[in-house]
Amino acid sequence: MTPALSRTLNALGLLAVSTVLIAAFFDQLVFGDLPCPLCLLQRAGFVVCGFGLALNVKFGPRPSHYAMLILGAVAGGVMATRQTLLHIVPGEGAYGDAFFGLHFYAWAATLFAVIVVGGAVMLLFDRQFETPPQVPARLSALALASLGLALLMAFANGASTVLECGGGLCPDNPTSYQLLDAWRGGTGPAR
Amino acid sequence: MMSLPFFGIFLALALVMAGRRTASIVVFGASFVMLLVLFKLHATDPLNIAL
Repeated sequence: MTPALSRTLNALGLLAVSTVLIAAFFDQLVFGDLPCPLCLLQRAGFVVCGFGLALNVKFGPRPSHYAMLILGAVAGGVMATRQTLLHIVPGEGAYGDAFFGLHFYAWAATLFAVIVVGGAVMLLFDRQFETPPQVPARLSALALASLGLALLMAFANGASTVLECGGGLCPDNPTSYQLLDAWRGGTGPAR
Repeated sequence: MMSLPFFGIFLALALVMAGRRTASIVVFGASFVMLLVLFKLHATDPLNIAL
């Protein structure tokens, strides 16, 4: 695998990660499904994965970049598994709506596992690391679009979390945007 | 507080786009540790499962 092909595949992976975050936002904004604290941490896990991919897109493929991708996926996977186990006993209830038969945290656990496997598979191709990585004079349109979208999604999730939780920790079962409520009511966030 | 990992990685991604690799990795490291700390704060209840 050439470094150029590796960069392209990483850019596509970065777009895929951003698509996951867009889907979560769609569910939040259109269906009013506010993300719980563990849901937010899983989103952050995807953003962390996006960082490893972004390094490969911008600076060229390096094993250390894939390591950061895999670390982010393992952390996100632990959080998603924790939430899946919280609801795994029948009758215990679930959080949010199901999507194609699985809840978002089960999808997240699956996707984080896919990212770990994908990162490991990419590491199998040694030729991408043979030439010294360098920053190209001009990034491709795909690379720029993937980096820009990842940047936007990281900021949008941060802003949404501030609106939902204010400056503190989020409530376990959020029902409204605390900061917006505070602005409307003229009081500070609940915590 | 829960928004910090997002803004941290946002800053790290901005540094990537600016070509500042080392600085971006430092910010990434801090954000990643913050993410793990936030997870620890939220994962305190024992799970109702038998392993």
